[in-house]
Amino acid sequence: MAVETQRMADFRIVEEPYYLPVGNEIALFEAAYEAHLPVMLKGPTGCGKTRFVEHMSWRLGRTLVTVGCHEDLTASDLVGKYTLRGDETIWQDGPLTTAVKAGGIAYLDEIVEARKDTTVVIHPLTDDRRILPIEKKGEVVQAPIEFMLVISYNPGYQSVLKDLKHSTKQRFVALEFDYPNADLEEEIVRAESGVDADVAERLVKVAAKVRNLRTHGLEEGVSTRLLVYAGQLIQGGVEPVPACAATICRPITDDLEMQRSILELINTQF
Amino acid sequence: MSTQGPGGAGNVGMYVGRDMLASVPEDRREDYLRLVQEISDLKYQLGVEVARQLPRLFAEQDDAAVERYLDQVRAIADVGWKSGVEVAKQLPDLYHAPDPTLAEAYVAIVSEATAGAPDDADTQAFIAELDDLERQLREVEPKQQRATELKSLLAARDRRDERRRKHAQELAAALPPILARLRPKHRDCYLREVQLVAAADPEAALEASNTLLDLLNGERLSHDGASAWVRRGLDVLEKSKEVGRGYFRMGSKYSLEVLEELREGLALRKVARVLKLYATALSGRDVAVRAIDEMDTVDRFGPDHIMLPADMRFFRDDDRNFVAYKVAAAHGAARIEFGTYRFSLEQIPETVADLGAKYGPGAK
Repeated sequence: MAVETQRMADFRIVEEPYYLPVGNEIALFEAAYEAHLPVMLKGPTGCGKTRFVEHMSWRLGRTLVTVGCHEDLTASDLVGKYTLRGDETIWQDGPLTTAVKAGGIAYLDEIVEARKDTTVVIHPLTDDRRILPIEKKGEVVQAPIEFMLVISYNPGYQSVLKDLKHSTKQRFVALEFDYPNADLEEEIVRAESGVDADVAERLVKVAAKVRNLRTHGLEEGVSTRLLVYAGQLIQGGVEPVPACAATICRPITDDLEMQRSILELINTQF
Repeated sequence: MSTQGPGGAGNVGMYVGRDMLASVPEDRREDYLRLVQEISDLKYQLGVEVARQLPRLFAEQDDAAVERYLDQVRAIADVGWKSGVEVAKQLPDLYHAPDPTLAEAYVAIVSEATAGAPDDADTQAFIAELDDLERQLREVEPKQQRATELKSLLAARDRRDERRRKHAQELAAALPPILARLRPKHRDCYLREVQLVAAADPEAALEASNTLLDLLNGERLSHDGASAWVRRGLDVLEKSKEVGRGYFRMGSKYSLEVLEELREGLALRKVARVLKLYATALSGRDVAVRAIDEMDTVDRFGPDHIMLPADMRFFRDDDRNFVAYKVAAAHGAARIEFGTYRFSLEQIPETVADLGAKYGPGAK
């Protein structure tokens, strides 16, 4: 019976991903890596969690296998499964197994979206055993010391139906992310989108005001990623107000009055 | 028993049974109905009896006998209809007696018995006088009815006038305090419109005096708008006092609709949430937006709300009026954010330090 694994070269990050540190998160992550500890990144959407993992993957020289979790994601999807290839039955490693075997970084994005049985699979990898049992094959894969498990988790999405179990949460070193302060965010927007300092400053001001509405009908404030999108559209020749309407205003709310108030904030800045 | 009455035979159908009509030869049915109708015009009960007996005579195909029967019935009916009914019932049998004069004699006897001796002169005079009096009474009857109606109408008017005077008195007491609250620039308009309503109905004027005060002082209507609103209300009042009073109390949907229609400018109600969100976003505080006409219930200036006009009428178009609202809301938001209403002299050093920390050294 053949075994199929994915080419690890596909997961290697060659160029340095742009990342501007907000605090001591790089040092903490490196310390966790050295101590073989799993890491949990907490923070709102679009604040730079995934970019941070990519950056750390490049920085540590490890491959990065990213899994976007969803409610239909099963343990088999993560670990691996038997599949037919012509007349032959082959075993296909899942992304988690691939990362473990390669001693890379396995990044489970939005882990809270995955099914509960999926989260249980990762438990043996997160304590001092650092093993991945593959029940269907009757194997146990021992993770090399280079392997690191990283999950991301948006506390804003938790509900009575969706939340991480405490038994899962308490296996991770948690790094808290939020939107960067105005100066850093301006620098990020400028660097990522290419807009000048004045436009970046205005975009960040709009974002700061919109984020004030988080407890007034907005589930989440406008993300740094959306500010970068806005900057990219402006840099591409779109007028600032329609660019901001398309990136800052409409994606974050369907409430027409909320949209209008955000548009007025945009008009005030531009 | 079912009945039938052709449309051309009056109400004869009420007492001509279907079986009676069926027993009359088909070519004589129209005549039958017509004759029954004629007799019943004299007296209904006579018609009923004739309707029963005539089919027998028609069946014998003897038109002379039918003619004679009806003449004799009419003759008896002239002197007494009750005798006529009995005669109408008995006569057809007598026509079949061996002696053909028997029927004539029977009619003569019953006729004389019913009519009695001729009246003497006194009786004739009494009858004539009674007839005359009865005629006069019949002529007076409609006048009596009208007199009763007029009495009722006048009584109702008296009650209404009494109520009107009572409400006028209430209006007299209520107006001075209201006038004391009226802004001078609205005086002429206000007095003119309240006077119009008072002339129509003082009770409605009581309602209108309060409502107009709010509408004008609150700048919710221009003077032209107020006149139009009152005119529309007077139309309602003319049709129904109660509904009209509700209109001037602003207690009817129509009244609110008219007000909305006549309003000039942009209503705060339409944009309040947008402005609230805008001010909240600007200030980072949970800001409420309130209309100035709510001043009675809240402090005009407070650390958590912005007072704005109920309508913005600086410009002709809503877009620019919204901008005016936005400017006012931003101004209010800034006062809330920077603590204008919380300011005290002791806080100056702390406030300067806070602003410096928030906006950099340049803020100092």
